Amino acid sequence: MKWVTWEQVGVDRMACAWLITKYIDRDAEFLFVPAGHKLLPEGAEPFDIPGVRLSHHRGHCTFHTMLREYDLRDPVLERIARVVDEADTVQDVMLEPAATGLDVICQGIRLISPDDLVALERGKLVYEALYAQLASEPTQ
Amino acid sequence: MEQPQEITWVLLVYKIPREPTSSRATIWRKLKRLGALLLHDAVWVLPATPWTREQFQWLTVEIGELGGEAYLWESHLLLNGQAEALVQQFQAHVDAAYQEILEELSQECTDLVTLSRKYQQVRAQDYFHSALGTHVRERLMRARGGFVT
Repeated sequence: MKWVTWEQVGVDRMACAWLITKYIDRDAEFLFVPAGHKLLPEGAEPFDIPGVRLSHHRGHCTFHTMLREYDLRDPVLERIARVVDEADTVQDVMLEPAATGLDVICQGIRLISPDDLVALERGKLVYEALYAQLASEPTQ
Repeated sequence: MEQPQEITWVLLVYKIPREPTSSRATIWRKLKRLGALLLHDAVWVLPATPWTREQFQWLTVEIGELGGEAYLWESHLLLNGQAEALVQQFQAHVDAAYQEILEELSQECTDLVTLSRKYQQVRAQDYFHSALGTHVRERLMRARGGFVT
């Protein structure tokens, strides 16, 4: 299946792409359109674009929305959603020390990647690592 | 940093139902947290960066979900000197917060954990890289003792 988002991916989109490929659609194919572009390719599921189903809702990031929409129940994924929330949006309560660094690292991955597709691919390692580490800690 | 008159600004204008008051407060706190300035009790403004654009964009979505209405604009100031004055307002806002940290640092017993967290919060709102911020950072580094570099 095809998935589409805006160009210049960051912390939230890298998390979503990792989640999609690993838990939702193993053969996911990612497409990109310039930010603000109104016309989306037909037959592709849009994500992290304002106003679409898979986007920010109630002040939470798109990764958080995806867990709800696809009914993924896993305390470690919930914790990652909290980290991405704190990394990607303005939050009063900051409980995840990984958040700030994760945002910077994901921005850096985009900087050193030739295009968005490669950036998403490289981001997957970061989320694999984050998942493994959080899974090894006592549940919170 | 570009010349003040060349700066692009993002503006957010919104209204939100009076009740529940918690929704209004949530949006207000997020705007304050971003370090946005409220001009004439009407327009919230930030210098445009990919990050501020994205934050205002998601706030616009959130305000809509809370039953409100928001417009997000990008603009330039046209009259001479107005951009400089606006930059100065942003600077004055963070400098006041930096000054508070400096005053607390000069007390006998200071809570360095709280102060360094406060520094990070102010730093995130310091869009024009105040010199006072560099000074606060150096003072915090020195206050922790041990080797400075």
